[in-house]
Amino acid sequence: MNGVSVKKADIAVLPQDNAGSEEKRLGFWLTLPAQCLVLFIAVFPILMQLYISMTDWSPLDGIPWYRAYELWIGFINYTDLASDSRFWAAMWRTFLVMIVCVPIQFLLGLGLAVLFVDEFPGKRWFYSTLLIPMMVVPAVAGYMFFLLFQSGGPVNDLLSLFSASPVKIAWLSDPSLALVAVMAADIWQWTPLMFLILLAGMISVPQDQQMAAVLLGASWGRRFFTIVLPRMKTIIIIALAIRTIEIFKIFDTLYIMTGGGPGVATETISVYIYKVTQQDLIWGYVAAIALAILIVLSVISAIAISKMSKGANAR
Amino acid sequence: MRRSLPFELLRYAMILLIIAISLVPTLWMLSMAFKPIAEWSASGAALTWWPENPTLDNFRFIFGQSSSELIVSLERTAARPIVASLLAAIVGTLIAMTAGTAAAYGLSRFGKGNNLPLALIQLRLFPPMAVMIPLMIMWSFLGLIDNWFGLAVVYGIVTLPFAFWLMKTFFDDMPREIEDAALVEGCTRLRVFAVITLPMMRPALASSALFVFIMNWSDYLIALLLTTRDWVTIPVYMTSLSSSMTGQLYGAKAALGLIAAIPPVILGIAIQKHLVRGLTLGALKE
Repeated sequence: MNGVSVKKADIAVLPQDNAGSEEKRLGFWLTLPAQCLVLFIAVFPILMQLYISMTDWSPLDGIPWYRAYELWIGFINYTDLASDSRFWAAMWRTFLVMIVCVPIQFLLGLGLAVLFVDEFPGKRWFYSTLLIPMMVVPAVAGYMFFLLFQSGGPVNDLLSLFSASPVKIAWLSDPSLALVAVMAADIWQWTPLMFLILLAGMISVPQDQQMAAVLLGASWGRRFFTIVLPRMKTIIIIALAIRTIEIFKIFDTLYIMTGGGPGVATETISVYIYKVTQQDLIWGYVAAIALAILIVLSVISAIAISKMSKGANAR
Repeated sequence: MRRSLPFELLRYAMILLIIAISLVPTLWMLSMAFKPIAEWSASGAALTWWPENPTLDNFRFIFGQSSSELIVSLERTAARPIVASLLAAIVGTLIAMTAGTAAAYGLSRFGKGNNLPLALIQLRLFPPMAVMIPLMIMWSFLGLIDNWFGLAVVYGIVTLPFAFWLMKTFFDDMPREIEDAALVEGCTRLRVFAVITLPMMRPALASSALFVFIMNWSDYLIALLLTTRDWVTIPVYMTSLSSSMTGQLYGAKAALGLIAAIPPVILGIAIQKHLVRGLTLGALKE
């Protein structure tokens, strides 16, 4: 109590000096809970992961994890990983979903943003309705698309309208089509996110230059590509980065639609890790996979973040 | 800018077309939720787009009332998973918001050179899958597997980056003159934070909390790995719903899906003003 009253007096006399150290201390205490949580979920688990990944440990072995050193195998898990064709196939599939879905979502989102950039009657309603897909719980979205792509489901029903005989495509059990259905679900759910971000960016492009260009007789297309798009560069990069990262993690919708199947036809990297964790139970190996991915992602993200902050400083 | 009538018509036509397409999956599940068992069948003769004999049987069924047509009855009803989802999502939101708001204030006002923000971005980048093994080992060591609190803690950590970045941008936007005036009056920082800043931030806190709640409510993977029976959440429960006698319980699952889908859709539309800010971790404000 005494200390508090002294401090008050000090602040009244010398606001800056004493406030400095007090605030530093307060800043420390305020960030402490978040720091602890990050430590708890990031630093400690990663160390544990490194340890487990050097062993052949499995929860079925009957020895607790901290005695996993009894099954020490060094880097064998990592060398196994390099020649694990199922892992690389899953990587490739994840990459495929990425390079198909991200551009489609981007172009659709950009097109929608162009339609929505200026005011028109009913805009608010249309806008809110368009956002619904991204609010739907991804697992439920997975179930929706599971229903849509049943062989007697609405997708085939619609396709039947355009063909002479009733269409009975077994989308989800055909290895070459299941991934298409999964991509359709991802595009449906996340195009609104692209739209939302790109529209926010497009609205924030200042009007004056565009007005000037209109006066000079520039066509709409010309204005769009030479003024609007270049000014949206940062926002476009952010939007693309968010979707790329999220697709890398793709799991919920996909797992509910196909469970990674038929066979391994839609097995992406998260599904692969999940299956090895839950079904094969070789946790030492999973730890190695996860750590390898973690390291690669950290390096990429560190480079990306430093590039982005450099770019931000330059402007 | 002046626009021609054809352009306006074209705009409406395109928007309506896209909206129609984007509503089909949701409406199909909605319709399925009210269909009696005879209309569920995917292999039936003609596809009924809208229930011909709408019924609430699917909803009654998941809450434990067996219907005349469905011979099976559920061993466990949907009531408990709904409670589990709510409890884990709400407590997870409280954890994320408490830690996130405190850290955001600390760093917004006097945190130069702290690397917590970057650590939080990195946390968001990692697939949750990648730390699942140590997490499952830790949680079973601590007895937190299949426990709502264990799930809530993980939710709190996973959504911490969103809580932090949202609140940080809100604090950055807030004018400091009011705080400074109170400081000169002799208030301590902590008191200023509790008595002046937090009450002013009430709308920001509410929309951030709703945003974080939606993220937590939407989880599937973490609950799938960390809960087994007593505290499974709605999506995990939903996937376990099937019966050897009727195969896929299409209608019942759709009813459950509808229950899971409604809260985030309503809340999301309520906070749509702040969605961009939240989804881009504060990089973009609308």
